[in-house]
Formats: sequence, structure tokens, C-alpha cells
Amino acid sequence: MMRYFLPAFIGILTLGIWEIWVTLANIPPFVLPAPTSIFDALLENANTLFSALAVTLYITTLAFFWAVISGIALAVIFTRARIIEMAFYPYVVTLQVTPVVAIAPLILIWVGFGNVDRALILIAWIVAFFPMLTNTVQGLRATEASLHELMTLSRASWRQRLIYLELPAALPSILTGAKVSGGLALIGAVVAEFVAGSGTGTGLAWRIIEAGNRLEIATMFAALVLLSLLGIFIFYALSIVEWLALRRWHESFQPKST
Amino acid sequence: MNEILSLDKAQMRYGDGTRALDGLSLDFPSASFTALVGPSGCGKSTALRLLAGLLAPTGGNVTMPTRDQIGFVFQDPTLLAWKSAYDNIALPLKIAGHTRADINQRVGYALDLVGLSGRGAALPRELSGGMKMRVSLARALASEPRILLLDEPFAALDELTRLRLDDDLLHIWQQSKCTVVFVTHSISESAYLAERVAVLTNAGQLAHIENISPPATREGFRSASAYHRAMGNIAAALGHDLNHDFGENLSAGRGSAS
Repeated sequence: MMRYFLPAFIGILTLGIWEIWVTLANIPPFVLPAPTSIFDALLENANTLFSALAVTLYITTLAFFWAVISGIALAVIFTRARIIEMAFYPYVVTLQVTPVVAIAPLILIWVGFGNVDRALILIAWIVAFFPMLTNTVQGLRATEASLHELMTLSRASWRQRLIYLELPAALPSILTGAKVSGGLALIGAVVAEFVAGSGTGTGLAWRIIEAGNRLEIATMFAALVLLSLLGIFIFYALSIVEWLALRRWHESFQPKST
Repeated sequence: MNEILSLDKAQMRYGDGTRALDGLSLDFPSASFTALVGPSGCGKSTALRLLAGLLAPTGGNVTMPTRDQIGFVFQDPTLLAWKSAYDNIALPLKIAGHTRADINQRVGYALDLVGLSGRGAALPRELSGGMKMRVSLARALASEPRILLLDEPFAALDELTRLRLDDDLLHIWQQSKCTVVFVTHSISESAYLAERVAVLTNAGQLAHIENISPPATREGFRSASAYHRAMGNIAAALGHDLNHDFGENLSAGRGSAS
């Protein structure tokens, strides 16, 4: 009970103090709007903001989807052929460590010409892909040696070994990677929208820039609130998937015996 | 004597130069029960893995039947945590391409043999350590192997569970008439179970063969002089004088099933 009550109480308290402080101290709304005026702005611009939310959700979802597919696929290839991993891993790391904001303009020019969404998805994918890859590789590698011997004794083909043993054994790591990757896909989508700037101008990040330019700080906050809610939604949705997939057998979901 | 299983001057040297086996020759007559005993690191597990075809010898010869005639029981239960007892036992059969009806019948038979009928739906985490080991044993038996190889299978279990599983294993062996090779570091367990105990030295050579003629039912065998004589001889071959080390326990334990 306290787990839900306590954070709710802190949230309401903070909003209350914020509201009173803004009113009493006469802080101008273009510096810090009161929570109630943020809520008003949200209702007033509901149409534009929610269609912007749909766009950002679309970019995030597709980037995340491709991150999961490509991360798992590449991890399987890497763990099957050491030589391919040796050849390509440094470049994967290079892609990861280069700040995405720095490559984004190039991607927009190369890929975004005529199809900005595709460039946005690619940028968000670059951000989201890496934890998916590393977590899956680690999960596939951590499979117990004696279980592998069991597969050898059963004369399992590499495909049977993968389906019956390695992928299920790696599932906890894969889902951990997915939780990180889902959050990063959203961050990637926002960064991509920022860089893409006007012209496309339909996602939540672009609404934030636009509202900032017009000094509509309450609208800016409203868009920010929606972004946070989207992030929280992604995290909990993936947590539920994890719970559904692992609760019956994985030790992290078993009651602790002390 | 039709020998389908033998080691002929088998040598095993690992890449780093450590010598696990040095010219070990042993025949395993059909339907015999042999125990391999030795200090840790003497290569008894290596010998078992050679017999299973999990390792190839670096010298000498290993004669063994095809893999589908070998059942292997690991030191740990080595179960897939996300699969039920039934599915764990069924997996090697599924990989080998048995029909569903055949799998059903064999798994039922194997569960029956280890005294777990009715527990097929249980996940490994819902089973005790002894039960998990029984599932592992059932998996090895489900393909009705001619040869059963066991690598210190009951070492991690508590004493009472171990004694019970020892008796169950004897019963299974007598029913199925397969050839058993049982690796253990327990002198008493080897003398109780086996018809023949092969003692290995630290250097991976054969130190001694102790032939025991145990009664078919081991009722009262733990207090029989043949059992204690065998233990004494095995201990002496391992470089321990049992009368010196355990003299008190030995005389005190006589007459009771220790």
C-alpha cells in the first residue's frame, strides 16, 4: 500500500506547493506556469498534442521493433561465428559511441530526403539497438555448459540448440535489454525530431520547440508531461511482458525464502 | 563377452598441458555395474565424458555404441527451468524425432521408473533436490539406453535422500539390465552399489580393481563383512588405511545400517 501511497502523496504535495508558490510569488507564466495552467494548456491543445504523441509513439515503436529484431539476430550471428563478431564488433561500438546528434544531420540528408520518418526511425534505432545486442549476446553466452553437453548428447542441430536451449535461457537478459532499449528508443525519437527541426514538425519534441519559440511555456510543459507519460508507459508495458514471460520459472520472480 | 564399451590405453591431455588420463584401460561388460572412484582431479569425470563421446581422447581408443544408446546423468540435475518435468524428459526424444505417442509412452514409463508418476506437470523449482535428480535420471532412461553413465549424480544431496536414490538406482539397473558406469568420490557409495570398483590415482592411472559380489537385494549389505572389506581395500588403494582413519566408526557402525 505504502508503495503506491507514498509517491502519490509526494507528487500531490509538490504540485500543491508549486501552484501556491507561483501564485503568491507572482511568477510570470512564461517563466514557470502553474500546474493548473499546464493542465489547461493540455486540454486546449489536446488535438495537436495527442496527434503529436501518436507520431512520436509511432517512431519510437518502429525503432524499438527493429532494435529488438536486429539486436537478437546479430547476437545470434555473433555467438555462432566468432570470426564475424571479431570483424564487426568494433564498428558496432563505433556506431554506439559516436554521439547520435552528430550523425543525425547526415542521416537526414542521406535517408530523410523525401521520407523524413525513415530517417527519424533510423536515428532512434541507432540509440536503441546497442543494449539489445549486448544483453542478448551476454544471455546466449551465459547458458550453462552442462546444458550444452545435454544438447550435444541429444545430437541437437544448431537450430534446435538455439530454440530449445539458448533463446529461452537468454530470455531474462533479452527482456532486460528490451526495457533499456524501449526507453532509449523514445530518447532517440526525441533527439531525432529535435535535429530534424521544422518541415516535418509533427512529433512531441517538435511541439516543445515550437511552443518554446512562441513562449507558450505551459504548452511546452504539457508536451513534456505527455513525453514522460509515454516513457513510463513503455517501461511498465515491457515490465508486464517480462512478468508474464518469466513469473512461472525465473528465480527473480519467486518469493524470497529467508 | 560382447564389449560395447571400453577404454583402451585412453589418454587425455588438455591444451594447457594438464594430463587428466594417462593410459587408462577398462572394459565394461554388458549389464555390469562399475564404479569409478578417485580423488578430485583424477580424471574420473573425464573418463566418463570419453565414454559418452563428449570428449575425444588425445591417445588410445574408446569403444562405444552410438549416442542414442547412451544415457548420461550429470552432477547437477541440468534441467531446463522453464520446462515441466515431463517436457524436460521429453526433450531429447523430441530432438531425436520420436512421434508424440511414442514420447508420451516413454516419458510415462520413465516417470514411473523413478517414482514420479503424477508429477510430470511440475516445474523444476517446484521439486526438491532429490526429485530434480530423479527427473534427470528419468530423462536419461527415457530413451531406454543400453548404457547409463552417471557423473557423481547424488553428491549434492543430503545423506538420506542419497541412500534412497542409491537403492532406486540399483532397482532400475536390475530392471533395465543396462551397463552402468557410476563416478563417485564416496568410497561407501561405490562399495554398496557396484559389482566392480575401479580406483584411479591422482595421475589418471588405474590403481586397483575391487571385485565385489554383492547380493541382488542389498538388504543388510551395509553391515556385511564383504562390504567393509571392499571399503577397506578401496581406501587402501586410494592411499588411506581405513582402519586407521575410520577404525572407530567402522566397529561402532557394524550391525547397524550406517
